[in-house]
Amino acid sequence: MKSRTFWNRSGLILVAFFVFVAIFADLIAPHSPWERFEPYTKPSTKHWLGTNDIGNDILSELIHGSRASLIVGVGASAIATLLGLFIGLISGYFKGFADELLMGVTDIFLMIPRIPLLIILAAFLKSSFWIIMLALGLLWWTSTARVVRSRTLQVREMDFVTSSKCLGFKNRHIILSDILPNIFPVALPKFMLTVATAMISEASLSFLGLGDPSMKSWGLMINFAFIKGGLINEMWWWYLPPGICIVLFVFSIVLLGFSFEEEKKVAIK
Amino acid sequence: MTLLEIKNLKVTFESSLGKVKAVEDISFKLMAGETLALVGETGSGKSTIAHSIMNILPPNAAVKGKILFRNQDLLQMSEKELSQIRGKEISLIMQNPALALNPVFSIGHQMTEPLVIHESLKKSKAILQAQDLLKRLHFKGPGVAIKSYPFEMSGGMKQRILIGISVILNPKVIIADEPTKGLDSRLKTMVLEELKLVKEMEHSSMLFISHDLHPAREISDQIAVLYAGEILESGLTVDFFKEPLHPYSKGLLESLPEKGFKPIPGTPPSMIHPPEGCKFHPRCPYKKEICTRKMPDKVTIKGRDVKCVLYN
Amino acid sequence: MCAVQLEIRNISKTYETGLFSKKRKSILKDISFRVEKGQTFGIVGESGTGKTTLGKIIAAIEKPTSGEIFFRGNPLKRKKEEFTTFRRKIQMMFQDPEGSLNPKKTIQRSLVEVLDLIKIPREKRTAVIQDILRTVGLSEEILVRYPNQISGGQNQRVTLARILLLKPELIILDEPTSALDTSVKAQILNLLKQLQQERNLTYVYISHDRDVIRFMCHDIGTIINGRLSSMSSSTVEGISQRV
Repeated sequence: MKSRTFWNRSGLILVAFFVFVAIFADLIAPHSPWERFEPYTKPSTKHWLGTNDIGNDILSELIHGSRASLIVGVGASAIATLLGLFIGLISGYFKGFADELLMGVTDIFLMIPRIPLLIILAAFLKSSFWIIMLALGLLWWTSTARVVRSRTLQVREMDFVTSSKCLGFKNRHIILSDILPNIFPVALPKFMLTVATAMISEASLSFLGLGDPSMKSWGLMINFAFIKGGLINEMWWWYLPPGICIVLFVFSIVLLGFSFEEEKKVAIK
Repeated sequence: MTLLEIKNLKVTFESSLGKVKAVEDISFKLMAGETLALVGETGSGKSTIAHSIMNILPPNAAVKGKILFRNQDLLQMSEKELSQIRGKEISLIMQNPALALNPVFSIGHQMTEPLVIHESLKKSKAILQAQDLLKRLHFKGPGVAIKSYPFEMSGGMKQRILIGISVILNPKVIIADEPTKGLDSRLKTMVLEELKLVKEMEHSSMLFISHDLHPAREISDQIAVLYAGEILESGLTVDFFKEPLHPYSKGLLESLPEKGFKPIPGTPPSMIHPPEGCKFHPRCPYKKEICTRKMPDKVTIKGRDVKCVLYN
Repeated sequence: MCAVQLEIRNISKTYETGLFSKKRKSILKDISFRVEKGQTFGIVGESGTGKTTLGKIIAAIEKPTSGEIFFRGNPLKRKKEEFTTFRRKIQMMFQDPEGSLNPKKTIQRSLVEVLDLIKIPREKRTAVIQDILRTVGLSEEILVRYPNQISGGQNQRVTLARILLLKPELIILDEPTSALDTSVKAQILNLLKQLQQERNLTYVYISHDRDVIRFMCHDIGTIINGRLSSMSSSTVEGISQRV
């Protein structure tokens, strides 16, 4: 059983690797993913992963695909987490009417079936990349809100919060300075995991053909691979790599999320 | 007959702030049927000693020395051998009863679990034994208690149940780690009564760990005073309270309520950078020059062991 | 000039529990007492009798169901402007040493944020901190630590330091020493007494420990079944049989 630090470091290294690739995609990729060569070629020294149905180099597509996945994943998660934090904190700290109202809203959002809604949205709206990110963000905040609220309810009962009130600190200060830092250990892993789910959602949508065709994403690659005969012709170099990338990236995000779990500062007693 | 013997125990912990020297060259003996009180402030190393005996120290601990139980070194034993001893021969009563009981299992389940596992007793027989023990611990309705859950019990009841679980296998050595901490006077008296009762039932030995001198005085035959990981004084409890020898012991007794809460000036030393020489010298009213350089050797006076220059 | 610092009149507190059948639970019934400036009033009773709730009501952290509190002869109103002025004068200290400080903040931060609150200019801050640490008996090396890296006694001293920065007149002490070792208890109790003399502080001391009450208090009230029975200092010795 490898030690905890090993897994933590691996998560960090993997995520850093993907981020690096996404940022420097232009420099790393051998060709532009839009450039057309001979279609349907097998892996060769010129094209390490061959080419797709319209002749794009698959390896270049793969490298550029990381950008779309990362941006949607992190962007959607950021929106969702911020929204969830805000709602959870207000709800948990003020309780009473605000709490009931906000939790009611949360319940309504929880009832909405997400993927079907996204499909409908994608069908009616321009299937733009940003719309997907926004939509995912606006739908995934609920579980974060719940978790943040629950922790806020706990923290607000602690003596140091009562102390702060007694000393005369304003509510805003107490929420931001006393409660929020104690919520981080719970919110940060949640953020990481939401990145993972957002990525998979985007991949699923793209796979269903509802993604943004102007951005190369892994899900879109798999989609094209399937509908353009990649699967039937056993062109594993086309549909497997994007799938593996999705799995690997999600895995590394999850590892990173776990590594943020609190380690208590050693008590010198 | 010596049941438990600690020889030159030394425990250090690795921490982000440096090496914590928790226990420094501790030696003592526990005889059969005897109660030894290990008294000291928080951070003096008392719980570390208890955890060393049970071998439940965290992974960043380094242990040296010997812990002999029936002449076998516990520190050299395998996990398998230790699991035979824990709970059955040596048992630990933990500090916080509210947290030590599992909320999702009934009292009956938690009390009979050791019997079923260690003695392979049939569940029905185990329940009868548990009920019997509860009756002896002054529970008015043992049958009802068996079926109840921890949340239905008051703090005092949970404490008694915890004591019950720890002794149901009739261990030879009972280690009680701060059993009266944070309790009000009524509960304190009750817990002490239960512990005395439990000790007599099986003629067990007890290692009573506490910072509070009152229960230590009531329950123990022998007493050892711990400061910054060293035993500064040890001997018969009765003699100790009549005439404490070490300046720290004197200070401890002066800070008791009946003596007017007279505080010992200063604070306990850092365990990462302890002072040179005698660890107590920064706070000692009888400090001499040699105390800042060398930790005094153990000396035996009037049947008591003391580590102080005043008695050399 | 009124010598009565604090007066409690007919304070009652009832809780409503239950979702469907609203049960009323009466914790405190018609409690009244007075404390003079510079004195300590002890509140005794078994665990769960509402002592802490009473403490919180006096410290204006909780609202009573009925009754009034008079501070320095003036009724405690919760209107904004008046509230801010007396808010600092009445403070409270709790039992759990580690829980009173935010575990994520260093001691320095916990102290500096109070300096921010009372608007101490930056140039004066170092001096103020040094001074308050000396007052409560702490060394400067404690500033970089976190609450779980220092002892219970030190935690309580830091909490006391934070309170004292506000220059309070009345402090409600809810069992601040019951979780401490006996020798540390002695230190903190003596510190509290010393501060009372130096600064003419009024204390309301809540405890179940009869020895501590005897040591600290001039007058005592016992809560039994939600009601308070008061005792004067002359019968303080008799308390050992009662509690």
